[in-house]
Amino acid sequence: METTNANQKYNFEVVRWFSVAACIYFVVGTLLGVYIAAELAWPFLNFDIAEISFGRLRPLHTNAVIFAFGGCVLMATGFYSVQRTCGVKLWSDKLAWFTFGGWNLIIVSAVITLPLGLTQGKEYAELEWPIDILIAVVWLSFSANFIMTIANRKSSHIYVSNWFFLGMMVMITYLHVVNSLAIPVELFKSYSIFSSVQDAMIQWWWGHNAVGFYLTAGFLGIMYYFVPKQAERPIFSYRLSVIHFWALMFGYVWLGAHHLQYTALPDWTGSLGAAISLAMIIPSWGGAVNGMMTLSGAWDKLRTDYILRFMIMSLAFYVMSTFEGPVMSLKTVNALSHYTDWTIGHVHSGALGWVGMVAAGALYHLVQKLWNREMYSVQLVNLHFWMATIGIVIYIVAMWISGIMQGLMWRDYDEFGTLTYTFAESVAAMHPYYVMRTVGGFIYFAGTVVMLYNVVMTIMGASKERSTQTAHAQA
Amino acid sequence: MNSIQEYFHTDWAAMTFHDWVGLTITVVVFLSMVIVYAYVLNPANKEQFESRRYMPLEEERLSLEDQQ
Repeated sequence: METTNANQKYNFEVVRWFSVAACIYFVVGTLLGVYIAAELAWPFLNFDIAEISFGRLRPLHTNAVIFAFGGCVLMATGFYSVQRTCGVKLWSDKLAWFTFGGWNLIIVSAVITLPLGLTQGKEYAELEWPIDILIAVVWLSFSANFIMTIANRKSSHIYVSNWFFLGMMVMITYLHVVNSLAIPVELFKSYSIFSSVQDAMIQWWWGHNAVGFYLTAGFLGIMYYFVPKQAERPIFSYRLSVIHFWALMFGYVWLGAHHLQYTALPDWTGSLGAAISLAMIIPSWGGAVNGMMTLSGAWDKLRTDYILRFMIMSLAFYVMSTFEGPVMSLKTVNALSHYTDWTIGHVHSGALGWVGMVAAGALYHLVQKLWNREMYSVQLVNLHFWMATIGIVIYIVAMWISGIMQGLMWRDYDEFGTLTYTFAESVAAMHPYYVMRTVGGFIYFAGTVVMLYNVVMTIMGASKERSTQTAHAQA
Repeated sequence: MNSIQEYFHTDWAAMTFHDWVGLTITVVVFLSMVIVYAYVLNPANKEQFESRRYMPLEEERLSLEDQQ
C-alpha cells in the first residue's frame, strides 16, 4: 500500500529504466572483464583482430563497469532517494529522461569508438572530446535535476545521503572538465592541453578522484540511504555521517599524487599524497563502522535478509580496500607493488566488493519497491551473493600472489648486480594466476547473470499480476 | 639545521601567486574543517543531529499522511 502511494506521488518510471539498464550493464561490463582476463591468460583469444585486442577492450570494460553500470546505479538510486527523502517529485521529468537518453547515448558512443581505437589515452577518461562534451552536458542535467529537487523539498533538513550525492556531482563536474581540457585537431582526435609531468598529475588527480568521488562518495550516498531502509533501522550515528562526509570531501582531493611515486613528480607531492591517504583510513573506517553498526541489536537479520548481506559484505570490502590502498601508497610498499597485478587486485576488491555489492543490494531493494513485489527467487539472491563473494576472493588472492611475485622477480639481482629474471620470465610465471583470475571473474560474472534473470522474472511476474488484476476489474 | 627542519624549510620569497592561492585555500578549508568538527561533536548539538537519523524510515509515514 505504502509503495503504491509512493508510486503515484513520485516519478519512478525513469528510476525503473535506470535500474534495468544497470542490471544489463552489470552483465555486459563483467563479461568484457572476463574476456580480457582470458586474453591475458590465453593470448590467442585476440584472434589477431585489433578491435577485440586487450588494449582496445580494456578501456571498454572500465567504461562499461564504471560509467555504464556505475552511472546507471548512481542515477537510479540518486533519483529515487532524493524524491523519498525530500518528499517531492523530481523537479523535471523531461530532464530526467534527457539524462537517461543522453547517458545511454554516451555508452553507445563508447562501444563504437573504443574498439576502433579512438581514444585520448587518459585512463578512465578515454573518450574523445565530442563525447566528453556530451558527458559534461548530461552530467549537469542529472546534477541540476537533483539540486532543484532538493531546493523544492518539503523537509527542512537535507538527509546525509543527498550530501554525498551532491559532493559527487560538484567534484566530478570539476574533475571531468579540467581533466578533459584538450585541443581538438579532428572530429575524434585531440591533444591534452597539459603536458609532461603536469599531464600525469592532472590524470591521477582525476583518476583517483573518480574513485574517491564517483565510486566512493556516490556509493556512500547509496549506503546511507539503502542500509537503514533495508535494515529498517536508523543509521548508527548521524554525527559520524556528517564527519565522514566532510573528512572525505576535504581529504580525497589530495591523494592522486600517490599514483606517481618515483616519477618526475616532485618527491614531496607523492609523500603528501601518501600521508593524506593514511589519514583517510580514519573517516573511511568511521563510515564503514557507521553502516555496519546500523545493524546493532538486529544482527539476526543477516541470517534471513540476503539483500542486507550484500550491503554489509560490501562494507567489509570497503574497510579492506580503504586500508590496503593507503598501505600501497607508502613509498616502501609502492616500490614493490607499483606496476604489478597487486594494484589490479586492490582495484577489484574495491570495485567488485564495495561498489558491485552495495549496488547489487540497492538494486534488489529498488526492484522490490519499484515493482511492488518480492524478488522472484530469494534463493537466487543468496546464490548471487555467494557467487559474488567467492568470485572476488579467488580474483584478489590470485592478483595478490601474482603482483607480489612480479614485484619480487623484477627487482631480484644476482651477485653481479644483473637482473635474475627477464621480463618474459615474469610474464610466464603469471600464467596460473591469470587463469585463476579468469575463473574468479567468471564466477562473479555468472552471479550478475543470475541477478539479471531474477530481476527480469520479478518484473515479468509484476506485469502478469497487473494484467490479471486489470482483467478482473474489467470482468 | 637538522633533517626535519631541512625537510620543512620553505623559501617564502620564492612563493608564486599560485602558491599563495593554494596555501590560503588549504588553510581556510582546514580551519573550516576544525569548526565543522567542533560544531558537530559539541554535546549541545547532539540531539539536533541525531534526530535526523530517522528521516529515511519516516518518509513512507509522511507520504501516507500527505495522501490523506
